[in-house]
Amino acid sequence: MKGFFATFKNDHWVMPYLRRYRKLLALVLFLGFMTYFCGAALMFNSGYLISRAATHPYNILMIYVPIVLARAFGIGRPAFRYAERLTSHNWVLRIVSDFRKRLYQAVEKQAVAIRQTHQTGDVLSILAEDIDHIENLYLRTVFPLVIGWLLYLFVVIGIGYFSWPFGLLMLLLLGVIVIVMPLLSVAVNGRREFQARQVQRQFYTQLTDAVLGLGDWLISGRRHDFLQQQDAPIDEIAALRRADHHFQWWRNFAIQFVFGAAVIFLVWWAGVMFTHNQAEANWVAAFGLALFPTVDPFSEMSQGVSEWPVYRDSIQRVNALDENAPVKVTQTKIGALAELKLDHVQFTYAGAKRQVIDDLSLTLHPGEKLALLGPSGTGKSTLLKLILGDERPSSGSVTLNGEPIARLQDQRAQLFGVLDQQPYLFNTTVMNNVRLGNLNATDDEVRAAIKAVELDDLIASLPEGYNTEVQEAGSRFSGGERQRLSLARILLQDAPIIILDEPTVSLDPITEQHLLDTVFSVLHDKTIIWVTHHLAGINHVDQVRFIEDGHFDMQGTPADLYRDNARFQSLYDLDRGR
Amino acid sequence: MIDQRVFKFPGVKPAAAVMAVLTVIQAIMIILQAQYLSMAIVHLWKQQPIGIIVAPLAVFAVAFLGRHLLTILKDWLLYPFVEKTTKTLRKQFMAKLFDLGPSVVAEKGTGNVVTMGLEGIDKIQTYLMMIIGKVLDLSITPWLILIYIAIIQWKEALFLLAIYPLIIFFMIILGLAAQAKADKQYAGYQRLSNHFVDTLRGLPTLKQLGLNETYADNVYHVSEDYRKKTMATLTIAMTSTFALDFFTTLSIAIIAVFLGFGLMNSTIQLLPALVILTLAPDYFAPIRNFANDYHATLNGKNALTAVLDVLQRQTPSDRELLSDRNPVWQDDDALKFDHVNVGYSADDTTLQDISFDVHGFQKVGIIGASGSGKSTLINTLGGFLSPQAGDINVRGTQVPHLDQKAWQRSFFYIPQAPYLFHASLRDNLAFYSPDANDAAVNAAAAKAGLTDWIASLPDGLNTPIGEGARGVSGGQAQRIALARAFLDDSRRILLFDEPTAHLDIETEVELKQTMLPVFDHHLVFFATHRLHWMNEMDYILVMDHGKIVEQGTPAELQQRDGAYVRLRSEMEGATVK
Repeated sequence: MKGFFATFKNDHWVMPYLRRYRKLLALVLFLGFMTYFCGAALMFNSGYLISRAATHPYNILMIYVPIVLARAFGIGRPAFRYAERLTSHNWVLRIVSDFRKRLYQAVEKQAVAIRQTHQTGDVLSILAEDIDHIENLYLRTVFPLVIGWLLYLFVVIGIGYFSWPFGLLMLLLLGVIVIVMPLLSVAVNGRREFQARQVQRQFYTQLTDAVLGLGDWLISGRRHDFLQQQDAPIDEIAALRRADHHFQWWRNFAIQFVFGAAVIFLVWWAGVMFTHNQAEANWVAAFGLALFPTVDPFSEMSQGVSEWPVYRDSIQRVNALDENAPVKVTQTKIGALAELKLDHVQFTYAGAKRQVIDDLSLTLHPGEKLALLGPSGTGKSTLLKLILGDERPSSGSVTLNGEPIARLQDQRAQLFGVLDQQPYLFNTTVMNNVRLGNLNATDDEVRAAIKAVELDDLIASLPEGYNTEVQEAGSRFSGGERQRLSLARILLQDAPIIILDEPTVSLDPITEQHLLDTVFSVLHDKTIIWVTHHLAGINHVDQVRFIEDGHFDMQGTPADLYRDNARFQSLYDLDRGR
Repeated sequence: MIDQRVFKFPGVKPAAAVMAVLTVIQAIMIILQAQYLSMAIVHLWKQQPIGIIVAPLAVFAVAFLGRHLLTILKDWLLYPFVEKTTKTLRKQFMAKLFDLGPSVVAEKGTGNVVTMGLEGIDKIQTYLMMIIGKVLDLSITPWLILIYIAIIQWKEALFLLAIYPLIIFFMIILGLAAQAKADKQYAGYQRLSNHFVDTLRGLPTLKQLGLNETYADNVYHVSEDYRKKTMATLTIAMTSTFALDFFTTLSIAIIAVFLGFGLMNSTIQLLPALVILTLAPDYFAPIRNFANDYHATLNGKNALTAVLDVLQRQTPSDRELLSDRNPVWQDDDALKFDHVNVGYSADDTTLQDISFDVHGFQKVGIIGASGSGKSTLINTLGGFLSPQAGDINVRGTQVPHLDQKAWQRSFFYIPQAPYLFHASLRDNLAFYSPDANDAAVNAAAAKAGLTDWIASLPDGLNTPIGEGARGVSGGQAQRIALARAFLDDSRRILLFDEPTAHLDIETEVELKQTMLPVFDHHLVFFATHRLHWMNEMDYILVMDHGKIVEQGTPAELQQRDGAYVRLRSEMEGATVK
């Protein structure tokens, strides 16, 4: 329970929505309550109806009201249930739209940090799933619980109206079902949950590991080891499930046991209470039958809360998201680009010891083209982050026309175009994807850009032409074509500085050559910083720099380096297959 | 209604038979419970002294408890069968995975296979647990109750019997219509969910384009559009539940009114009337339960289909044609491909008419543009793919495919990104020879140029690596794979599939120095784009569109001035000054 309140103490994802949409929420709860009320009332009314009829009233009109009520409750129950389900789903989906937007914004503000800390998109999928979990928290736990309690209060107060000591007895007895059992479920599950998650995670990791490394397992011929490795978690999972089931069976039995006792007490009490005359005795059957329809909603409560541990994790994760915008310095604007300058830049990641960039200086003028090379982990990507302003130098400065880059972030998309290893294509048409470069571009301008990157023939050959869907992550197109589409986007964006971050790393040499030829011909008037992993196409640039351990150790024009530098020469020849 | 496949699991029939008997007893308990509760109430209605209801209430209590204890007993008896079945399924699934190899993973996707083995089989467990009990309930309980009601009052029984097919009819009609729409909606939901994740992943691109802030509204609008569409479908989907609910609840109300009239006309007494009224909800309960869990049932059914689909696949036969010996591949052995065709499915031929003849410790370079079939050829050599036609001859033995147990002991396969297991570095290095001692592991690591790196690790060889643990760079991963080869000298064939494609040129140069010594005393197949490796080869296969268009020694090919020379010059392309 402590965990329960701790979870909601600083919550700003679940509770605020209960408050914001409280009218709809009240409606959901009312409809849910009415569903079960009608169910119980139907049996109550029917019990009275036949008891009254059995006294042979002289006129049918004497039982006319219960007859009408029987039909009303009979129709009311399904109708309310139908309405309740529609309203609650509508309510929850509405919140999900809010959640999605919020999650997007949270991730957007921290976009740089998130990429850095988690690298893969897995975390994003987990967060997206968390939102679905919170959706279920409302539908499967919160609503049934509150509706169950409302029903409980109604039953207790209804009986307390006739006799408060017996009302008190029911308060205690049914309280076991609607309060003690759910608490017990949470407590028992909470205890088992830690263990369960560990076993699950272990099995998951092991299974993923086994599947990914299946080729090696197969070749190694270690079939026995492979199967044996999976045995332990399989047995553990089975044991865990067994314990889970046993608990559920006995808990459900306990609920039924208490419920059976409540029915017996109720009949006994009715027998004592309503036996002064026949008119009173007609109510006995009503009370005797009315309780039965409530057992379903009551026992659902325990099942709903036992799912709580799953939801708690999700709530904690989304609450842990930092939604504060990073502190931004005052922004300014610059005119036409005159100079990009790195002046004695040093950089160390927060909390890390190793200095990634060590006293780098570099000046680029409009139209100049620079290639950066170096083994992975030597600071190439960090340097790009510093130039774009995603990171700030520990000392020294990165400036455009003398303005620190941190002060130009609002203008960033107008200053920099980026083509990276995996340019992203959104699941929409070719036309829309390219137009993202400049939302005001006309259809003709988009077509011109696509023609410039030499994709016009390909696109024209597609059945739907420019309106072809690129499909998820652009899977309709090959790697080289995806790069060209992004290049078209960059042409429309028309920024003066273009960053090429290993755009050809996954392409074969022929595709790579053709793409580089296109890139440098359409961007001939731009300033280009090109990070590359080998020397194909190096003659397109007028300056090559090698980074080693955070500083430049070889630089010059490709021709000079080839002539004067033995190392460059050997790498170059190697790349050409000599 | 019930899946025939469920009855194929061993042990299901005895379990179901016992369950059926218990269900009959349970139905009797339900009837007793209703009978004696009604008796107690009728006593009270007749204003008899309270003491007289002790006996009927006691019987009610016993029947009520008995009914619910029987529920536990049923579960208790069924569970060992279900547990054993799911455990066996899991183990069979793992064994099948091993026997089928990576091709099934490539086809289904890693995530899919893992989900199948984990959640998929969990769902089957839930399904088995549920379906047997529910179907028995549905086929026994209502009818016993109905017979009992018929004995008391045949008219009401007739009404209850008549309403049953009506409920099922409406459930099916509305259910089918709703299901079709709901399935479509579910697909739409998956798309939206993927779309959302993709938008999150595409954020860096949005930021580069300066659209990151405006896109938030787009996210909201897409989601809202979806909500409106979903609600439209849900309205239909829920109508099916509504119909079921409506007919069952209204039936009870109608029965009550019927009974009321009967009582007024004295065609029935209060006791039987009350019994019928009490039993009516229990008559409908099994079908309602069945409908409520319809979706869980459906999930279980689909999971079962998916798992059985994998389990029923044919594993390759004739895996022991090639005789075993140590080492499997020796200097004077020969491997011959004769007009071999390979495809990923029956109607597709990726490789056509592949013929070559290699022997001993040759170094065979495989070169071609992307999509020319290099990887497919390597996969065929590794036995991961079986040829559709043609002959393969190894050491003079004719084999239908290279998925030979002895062949598997003869080679190492080193792809672009060798897989590193989530285990210690030592276990990774010694994966192919788990019995190797530390000295041997260290020596192999030294030959692979890993000594300095290992010294820099916090726990040396015991440092955990792999997914989620310490990151290992692409170059180091290759070195680990090479160390495996150094450690196990009995495997004399090396299959390389673009091992350096993603490495920067300097790392590649260093790695090459380490790699070349491994080539000695090994038959090497080396598929790559990087031309300089061709200088180390003594035989070259030039591939184009799934065919070998030219083969020979580098010198021969250079002289012939054909496909090889053309490809080389195209690949050098703009690099030429």
